[in-house]
Amino acid sequence: MSSHEAHAGHHHDHGDHHHEELPFWRKYIFSVDHKVIGVQYAVTALVFLFFGFTLMMIMRWQLAYPGQPIPLIGKYLSSAIAMDGILVGDGYNALGAMHGTIMVFLAIVPLAVGGFGNYVLPLQVGAPDMAFPKLNMMSYWVFFCGGVVMIASFFVPGGAAASGWTSYAPLSVIATTGQTMWLLGMVLLITSSLLGSVNFIVTAVQLRAKGLGFFRLPFFVWAQLVTSFLLLLAFPPLEAAGVLQLMDRLAGTSFFMPSGLVVSGVQQTQYAGGGSPLLWQHLFWFLAHPEVYVLILPALGIVAEVIANNTRKPLWGYKSLVYSAIFLGFMSFIVWAHHMFMTGMGTTLSTFFQATTMIISVPSVIILTCLIISLWGASIRYTVPMLFAVAFLPMFAIGGLTGLPLGLTASDIALHDTYYVIGHFHYVVAPGTIFAMFAGIYYWFPKVTGRKMNDLLGKLHFWGSFVFINAVFMPMFFQGMAGLLRRQYDQTEQLHGSLAHGLTTMSSWGAWLLALAQIPFIINFFWSIRGGTKVDANPWQATTLEWAAPSPPPHGNFDKVPVVYCGPYEYSVPGKKTDYCPQHVAMEA
Amino acid sequence: MLAQTTYGRWLPPQLSEHGGKIDQLIDVLHVFMAVLFIAWGIFFVYCLFRFRAKQGHAARYEPVKGLISKYAEIGVGVFEAFLLLGLSMPVWADYKNKPPAESERLPVRVVAEQFQWNFHYAGKDGKFGSTDNSQITASNPIGLRSDDPAGADDIVSVNEFHLPTGTPIYLRLTSKDVIHSFAIPTMRVKQDVIPGMEIPIWFTAKEGSESEKLREQMVQHFPIEGANWYKLRHMIASEDHKSSGGEVLLAKGADLGDSFVKGKELIESLQKAGVAELVMQPRHPLEVICAQLCGNSHFKMKATMVTHDAAGFNAWIEEKSKGVEFEDF
Repeated sequence: MSSHEAHAGHHHDHGDHHHEELPFWRKYIFSVDHKVIGVQYAVTALVFLFFGFTLMMIMRWQLAYPGQPIPLIGKYLSSAIAMDGILVGDGYNALGAMHGTIMVFLAIVPLAVGGFGNYVLPLQVGAPDMAFPKLNMMSYWVFFCGGVVMIASFFVPGGAAASGWTSYAPLSVIATTGQTMWLLGMVLLITSSLLGSVNFIVTAVQLRAKGLGFFRLPFFVWAQLVTSFLLLLAFPPLEAAGVLQLMDRLAGTSFFMPSGLVVSGVQQTQYAGGGSPLLWQHLFWFLAHPEVYVLILPALGIVAEVIANNTRKPLWGYKSLVYSAIFLGFMSFIVWAHHMFMTGMGTTLSTFFQATTMIISVPSVIILTCLIISLWGASIRYTVPMLFAVAFLPMFAIGGLTGLPLGLTASDIALHDTYYVIGHFHYVVAPGTIFAMFAGIYYWFPKVTGRKMNDLLGKLHFWGSFVFINAVFMPMFFQGMAGLLRRQYDQTEQLHGSLAHGLTTMSSWGAWLLALAQIPFIINFFWSIRGGTKVDANPWQATTLEWAAPSPPPHGNFDKVPVVYCGPYEYSVPGKKTDYCPQHVAMEA
Repeated sequence: MLAQTTYGRWLPPQLSEHGGKIDQLIDVLHVFMAVLFIAWGIFFVYCLFRFRAKQGHAARYEPVKGLISKYAEIGVGVFEAFLLLGLSMPVWADYKNKPPAESERLPVRVVAEQFQWNFHYAGKDGKFGSTDNSQITASNPIGLRSDDPAGADDIVSVNEFHLPTGTPIYLRLTSKDVIHSFAIPTMRVKQDVIPGMEIPIWFTAKEGSESEKLREQMVQHFPIEGANWYKLRHMIASEDHKSSGGEVLLAKGADLGDSFVKGKELIESLQKAGVAELVMQPRHPLEVICAQLCGNSHFKMKATMVTHDAAGFNAWIEEKSKGVEFEDF
């Protein structure tokens, strides 16, 4: 009841949607409508996703053919990145650091949370908008400025940040101006995430439609809710750490700078010393491990929605999914130091962190098990979103399983900082999360535009992506086993690296072909906005509330305030005429 | 199981006394992962076919009773506990908590910097000379004090790590500038080197893993088809490679040249001359590398590791610390 009242009051606050027409710039640019902001986030994030991918494709040339000029674009690159078309060491490191930063903070998180969360969450809880629409607008524009600062950093003297996306001190503190830009950019991005997460939490808790109890929420909403708590609680330490590193760089403090440093033969007397490089790592990973779950939870949410819809049956173990997600969120705060096993950690601390790391794998296994058992007894429609959602499962499983040898300290000695790590987390985030994002785009595109994306192009996109993304990442496990280190400008400089080099070429070609496989998607995306088949409000015959709104939903979302009568996934209920019972339709006896 | 005698696709050769247990854990883990993934995959693929939408088939509303999944989950949990308590923790505790006795070990200080490894040996007197950062010069990279007699016979070896096999090596790692990571793939040794901290590690190279012997053990045959300089740039020919006319194109001990272009030309001429495969061995079979991004030339930061038998190592110490004046550094 209280949530319903909140609705009404909220409506009153920012005016009714039958209001006179807003000017273009208020409607589409500085909009407070969660749907416009969601689309802004998603489109910006997709551009960054493509940009981050391009950086990596350049790096993969240098890896496959070290010291040879980059074809096509080599001669256009700035001197901080390439000389005579050949990538330089600093340039490689800058591309690597920026690839990681852009993919995590400017592509995946804004797409998964800013894009899907913003667009879908208020609809799924039956709300007319986010709880704080202006805060929402501010969140997007602060994010946008963060992105601009990050991109601008490529053009400052010395080029962009080149100390890895992890920015370990002291390397990052003695680095060129690009690092200052990186830190400023991060402070903006973190601020944006904090604004967003408060909004999500309040919306999911306060603006639920009448009858929509917590255990009637779609799993996607649960995933976003847990994600928002992670962002809210884990990001502030990194924001503080970012400011401290800025101080070290600009104000001569020594938070992360120990005494007695000598760089290139020069004593670093400008730093008072006494700081700790490990402090940065703790603060960084205190965010960055929960961040992993920020990347994966919304993906699991999307996959759960798509699987329920396309198996035409309720998700198996809905409550286990919810409790697992909450437990995962909680545990993700106490595993961070497993990224630091090689820093000289003693037995006591490492015992704790490898134990928590093994424990956190349990809820992940439960979630995956629930999703897979949901297939049993189903009637699976192989729509394009379903193909991506189904492919997500084994990819995420590979990503999860290969985390085991890294999470145990003893095996980590051999595998730490090798390509095994790169393979592991990319399986979680690339064929894992990004596949889920694609599933989400194909699934909700009709809601946003009122039109469906083309099936044939979608299937081409799926099969091309599936084959080539595995060609990129599968070889990395073998190379990592062989000891090949990550962050190497020239992998062949070391004996064991040179002998494992053959697979690098395969991986690189996989990446370039993967780029080609995205062409059907790009064409499909833009063409379908105007040319796709027109569909009604609920083309997938789905049950959750977003499908109760018209497509595209007007400002204020619902024609009449929805009331919820049942759980989120009432598919194939025995004795019903249709195989789905929408949440907002009363199930007559 | 996964470790090789040569470098290749799986784990590199395992030549330390503690490394076998690490490899064993990696083996067990991968068998476990494979079993889990395959069993799970069979169920998954079966569902995808069996439960596809078709005429006359409806989805089932009632949830299946998940007993098997419950047992599977518990099984996974129990096995993970075994991995943790039975394998990983004891290996790690063994590796971290039992430093070799002072009387048995060879102490070496390692001072990392962008982009080289400095190895500091106590020399014949067994005493390390003290150091002072203000005395660091290009020829005295660790700042060894000239007024400390203990340092007079010390050895500072740049990018060359000499050690005896069969003797525990006790390293104290520190860095002058940024974080590096001291890694020896063949010894299953990896440790971050952090400025402002001195971190001890220790390991023992197996007897029989002397560089000279390894070079002979690591002879590999590479088909000339698909051979390239990138892959073979650190290898030298194990025998003369001749054309059918008997002309030596690649002599024993020679490499493929110092660039991709030269290597390509040489490989092409060998191919033209009818050589079917290259028989090669590493010039330096062991390397110390840097595993933590440390700047623009991070990838070049490596040291040659030379393992001797006890007599060979003593001879090296003798040669290096005899009559070496401090100024010569």
